[in-house]
Amino acid sequence: MSSPVLVSDTHHDVHTDHGHHEHHKQSFITKYIFSTDHKMVAKQFMLSALFFLLIGGALALLLRWQLAYPGEAVPLIGQFLPELIASDGVIQPGLFIQLTTMHASVMIFFVIIPLAVGLFGNLCIPLMIGTDDMALPFINLLSFWLYFLAGIVAAAGFFVQGGAGASGWTGYPPLSAIGGLGQTLWIVAVFLVGFSSILGGMNYVTTVLNKRAPGMKMFDMPLSVWAIFITSVLMVLGTPVLASAVSMLFFDNVLHTSFFMPDNLTVASPYANGMKHSGGGQPILFQHLFWFYSHPAVYIMILPLMGVVSDVLSTFSRKPIYGYKAMIFAIMAIAFLGFIVWGHHMFQSGMNPLLGTTFMLSTIVIAVPSAIKVFNWLGTIWRGSIRYTTANMMALGFIATFIIGGLSGVFMASAPVDIYIHDTYFIVAHIHYVLFGGSLFGIYAGIYYWFPKLFGKMLNEIWGRRHFFWTFIFFNLTFFPMHILGVGGHMRRIHDPNVYDFLKPFQPWNEFITIMAIILGFSQLILFGNIIYTWIWGPKAPKNPWNANTLEWHAPSPPPHGNFLAPVRVYRSPYEFSHPDRADDFHPQWLAPGEVEIEETTTVSETQNTH
Amino acid sequence: MILAAIPSFTELLGMFDMLKWFPENVSTFGHELDNLFAFIYYISLGIFFLTYGVLIAFMIKYRRKDNVKAYYYHGNNLVEFTWTLLPTILFAGIGLYSDGMWEKTKYEKKVPVPDVEVQVMGYQYGWTCRYPGPDGTFGRQDRNQMTTSNRFGIDSADAAGKDDIVKDGSFTFPINRNIVVGLSASDVLHSFFLPNFRVKQDAVPGQWIKVWFNGTKVGKYELACAELCGSGHYNMRGEVTMLSQADFDKWLSDESAKKLGVSFAVSPVKSDSSATKKNDSTATVVAVATTDTSKTTNKKSK
Repeated sequence: MSSPVLVSDTHHDVHTDHGHHEHHKQSFITKYIFSTDHKMVAKQFMLSALFFLLIGGALALLLRWQLAYPGEAVPLIGQFLPELIASDGVIQPGLFIQLTTMHASVMIFFVIIPLAVGLFGNLCIPLMIGTDDMALPFINLLSFWLYFLAGIVAAAGFFVQGGAGASGWTGYPPLSAIGGLGQTLWIVAVFLVGFSSILGGMNYVTTVLNKRAPGMKMFDMPLSVWAIFITSVLMVLGTPVLASAVSMLFFDNVLHTSFFMPDNLTVASPYANGMKHSGGGQPILFQHLFWFYSHPAVYIMILPLMGVVSDVLSTFSRKPIYGYKAMIFAIMAIAFLGFIVWGHHMFQSGMNPLLGTTFMLSTIVIAVPSAIKVFNWLGTIWRGSIRYTTANMMALGFIATFIIGGLSGVFMASAPVDIYIHDTYFIVAHIHYVLFGGSLFGIYAGIYYWFPKLFGKMLNEIWGRRHFFWTFIFFNLTFFPMHILGVGGHMRRIHDPNVYDFLKPFQPWNEFITIMAIILGFSQLILFGNIIYTWIWGPKAPKNPWNANTLEWHAPSPPPHGNFLAPVRVYRSPYEFSHPDRADDFHPQWLAPGEVEIEETTTVSETQNTH
Repeated sequence: MILAAIPSFTELLGMFDMLKWFPENVSTFGHELDNLFAFIYYISLGIFFLTYGVLIAFMIKYRRKDNVKAYYYHGNNLVEFTWTLLPTILFAGIGLYSDGMWEKTKYEKKVPVPDVEVQVMGYQYGWTCRYPGPDGTFGRQDRNQMTTSNRFGIDSADAAGKDDIVKDGSFTFPINRNIVVGLSASDVLHSFFLPNFRVKQDAVPGQWIKVWFNGTKVGKYELACAELCGSGHYNMRGEVTMLSQADFDKWLSDESAKKLGVSFAVSPVKSDSSATKKNDSTATVVAVATTDTSKTTNKKSK
């Protein structure tokens, strides 16, 4: 969490030059720990979420090991695992489902959402709409610390009797209602992180609606801001429903109420306490409430990155975004339809099949705006002048994997096809193509793109490209074969597939996937190395390294407290690249007509990007 | 070991042939579901190659070149309209085409007239199956009598339940007959997954859901649980044996003889092989075993 000397140095410089900000009195605690500055909150979200990314990745590798080499001790760290959950270093079934549960929960609630919304929401919104900070800075601080607290609560599950939550990231009752303390902690953590989302979302909506720089109309906002804005609306509308669902689950779990517990269960769980539940509840109700939030949450996890990718792609193709308004309407359509498709997660759940028909049709329709976005991205690079920076390669990687993830989604959208592939690795492949191939590539694109602004230093491009290639290649080698397992009928969340004769032929695939996953996991260390190296030794970033148009590049790198040195005014739309009447191939939003940028913009993109 | 895991080039190419990975289909509607999968797969493959072709071509053709400025262009409404309309038609088509299959396999009113009707209960960690027995009628169920030794809660007071056959872990059905399963669970959610029959349905405690299939091939097939149900989830394996009608009749009468022999001390009744109607042979058994309650039994079996 501690920030390097560099940032305070820059602050100091800025302070001496334009000493009109009251930030020098801040102590270490108010500046780095309980900061209300949106950039510091963004850094806090980024670093904590990247830390959780390492944890979530490690959990994934552990469970992959068991799938590839069932019954063999985990190398290196196996001997350190407690005997109760891993006898002689071999992962036991109980630990295995904790691993699957916690891998998914950590990645979704503590990595992707905080990065997509917490990092980019905080980083982009005030800077890109040309204001000094969030509308509600203290709420912003609360939002981060609730998230951090939730992370500790979730991780604490591994250290209590019975282990962490083990009902899958979906936490379906009755299983989740009869779990032990770890399961209760999981429920509390989800509640807290949801609360963090609600606070964040509320803040982003308020900021976007109230704090835009003079001259900036809604349709002058960059797509990143649009996407995060609409995502925030989704969070504010959806997350309370999740909160209600997990609250009731908490009561079922701790106080033995029966919101989701039917009559007369004969449960063998040691935590069921002789089943004190009175019964009369309905397990499927939880699934409805959960997915009413969690399907929009799928879009919460990808929409902001669609915005980020649009900005990155437009900047590095030196071309206006193709169909700016169509992109916005597509995001709105996805957001609206996102609320009426939740039932497609429940085709096989025992919900009335008549609803299956309804949800199938709405789900199939939601593929349309996603397709529109892909076509518009292709239109954006068409006749562009593409710079292959790391950020742009990550953005193109996003599109490439999102196409596959989107197409595999059509299979499960068709309810009868879903009968067979539901709860198999086909779904696992799909979610990873969308959330890793989609969201995480988008996040990486954003990190490489905005790191110079946020930290004032240029990430190393050569290692950045290496990071891209290793990640892209081994991502596909890891997750594409999972489609095959899925078509073979391989169920999710099973500790040892060799129990089933029909899955035995797939063992070589499991082994292959695991080896690729290990390489994929370790290649992420390139990013961490790059960030640490750059932080200490990296070259200083100029104000506008990519010759971009949006307002954040008008602020110094890194921006001081209060962001802009003088009030900003917006004169044009954010994507005025390569206008035929201009010598420059970009025309920033902040330049008045006829005005020329006085401050020199060192074009690092020129020197670094051509190989 | 590690080298053996790396597939050869042809194997990598073979990755695009998704359909070969399906386990053998042995149900009447299974091939229709597989065909629907194949239909979507080939459309997806077409879209995949089209978009990837365009993406890669653009990435190469429009890479940065000196003295070439990008084209200043904001888009075209007619183009947007076209590429909105075309996917809408395509996807809506897939949806409508799928719906017929969905209704046929899942709608309760479309469940065919059962030739064999059973109940299946999932529990941590296994499956148990209940046949109505010789009287063709399930005994009354009482939720308060559900225990680990009586998972269906068969009411001991109801005579119709005395001859019900309960099999744990391994079930037997005849081929070319409509098997209708009433599915539930006694503790947490499970999912009744018969990969070879392309059948999957969650089992929900407190709720009975009808699942049906019609097997086409004699043999032993696996039953799996597809919904996480606890640490033993992976081990919740069952077996389904498909027999010819004649073998099934024999199996059923042997089972009921075993059952009645134990609980009623009635001598085993031989299966009447001359009977063409499948419940004929067992009708005699009913007469022997439940004479005192034959009235109620008859009422229940319409």
